[in-house]
Amino acid sequence: MNAPNRHELFVLDDGEKGVEVIEDTKIPNAATFKIIKQDHTLGNMLRSQLLAMPSILFAGYKVPHPLEPYFILKIQTDGSITPTEALEQAGNALLKLISDLQAKFKAEFAYKDVEGVDGVAEDPYGALPSNMTTSAWGSSTRFYADYS
Amino acid sequence: MPGEATVRIRELKKDRVNFVLENVDLAGGTSFANSLRRVVMADVPTVAIDMVEIESNTTVLPDEFIAHRLGMIPLISTSCDEGIRYPRECNCTSHCQYCSVELQLNITCTDDTTIDVTSNHLDVYTGEQTDAGDDGDEPSKRGEGFGMPVGKNDPSVPPVLLCKIRKGQELKLKCIARKGIAKEHAKWSPCSAVAFEYDPHNKLRHTSHWFEQDERAEWPLSENAIEEDAPREDEPFDFLAKPERFYMTVETVGSLKPRDVIFKGFEELQTKLANLIHGLKSTTEIETNGRMTGHVVPIAQTGWGQGPTTMNGTGGGGGWESPGAAGWSV
Repeated sequence: MNAPNRHELFVLDDGEKGVEVIEDTKIPNAATFKIIKQDHTLGNMLRSQLLAMPSILFAGYKVPHPLEPYFILKIQTDGSITPTEALEQAGNALLKLISDLQAKFKAEFAYKDVEGVDGVAEDPYGALPSNMTTSAWGSSTRFYADYS
Repeated sequence: MPGEATVRIRELKKDRVNFVLENVDLAGGTSFANSLRRVVMADVPTVAIDMVEIESNTTVLPDEFIAHRLGMIPLISTSCDEGIRYPRECNCTSHCQYCSVELQLNITCTDDTTIDVTSNHLDVYTGEQTDAGDDGDEPSKRGEGFGMPVGKNDPSVPPVLLCKIRKGQELKLKCIARKGIAKEHAKWSPCSAVAFEYDPHNKLRHTSHWFEQDERAEWPLSENAIEEDAPREDEPFDFLAKPERFYMTVETVGSLKPRDVIFKGFEELQTKLANLIHGLKSTTEIETNGRMTGHVVPIAQTGWGQGPTTMNGTGGGGGWESPGAAGWSV
């Protein structure tokens, strides 16, 4: 059995670097980032965040092969910041959005807890059909194909 | 500054949460919401049965069949972060109390009636383990019922049927449950379904509806359509419009509460971004200083929340016009 461990798709090896920066020699203010052991979850989010920044001329990402767990992100800026700085700013902006949303979710969940909606659900699968008083497993009617 | 992002929970049940994300603008709203969807489905760790030692199986089902069914059973996974190690992070030989939960099942049918062997027959076994990994306090941090099949002592939750056995048949086995994420195997996913929708009226024309005669009649509107105004008959197409409301339902399998799934999902996103920023910082330091500056700070201490950027610009302006300071905000 020579199948690689599945966790090698998302856990960095010992000493492996998560980010590689390749500065572009032909295009000014451009760089390619190879982000290892990450996928569309991070790539697409960063790409669209970068595109929202005014100093970005180009941002795009691709996963070159579905079996190889990395993506590359190309960034070109207008020169006011370096691509690395731009990527860092995009990451920080997303972190800010996440912590903002976390606080809002916390408030919303707390509000719902006070309302008593959580935990008092009639049934874990929502309301039972009106003609059923107990769960399907407690009822005496047997399954039609059960001849035993 | 554009409007603030808001969250509105429309429904909260034991096993699901339905919410609306509004004004997640940043022009990246769609991809951010999609990343949240992806992360709750595939990156939130839970425990699930990963290895089964079958001692005796005289049922009609083959061992593999039963082992597969056992793997699919949702197990209570609250406090997964501190309560259990990943098997790859534990230095025991195969499994121990720090990186696994053992469950046992032992059913023999002696009656004339068939017995339904269900997930309720699984019991968490806590015994001495010889070849354990490095000492830790993981087991003491586990929540109540950690590793137990979901809804075991709750009569309102129907158990998972594993097999039916008749007189004289027996099923005796030992299961090792481990921590993992759904990228490794879907059984570790805390979600059974994640619904995701935006633009219920298709005003943005991100999709095109195929129809025979009447688009409106053949494409019923979703429940979320009442949240937004329907387009007027003569309304011109606004090609600059961006999606700004995202309707999501996160339905869990019961191993984690919907609340925990959402927060854990956010944490995973933060970890991904923090690792990226950390990686960028360390590569820049190598470039500017020509050597590693021993910057091995644990991620938790890097303070990426609002960390100032202490970098020298490495790339100069190459004849490109600069439109002043970057005035973008979140």
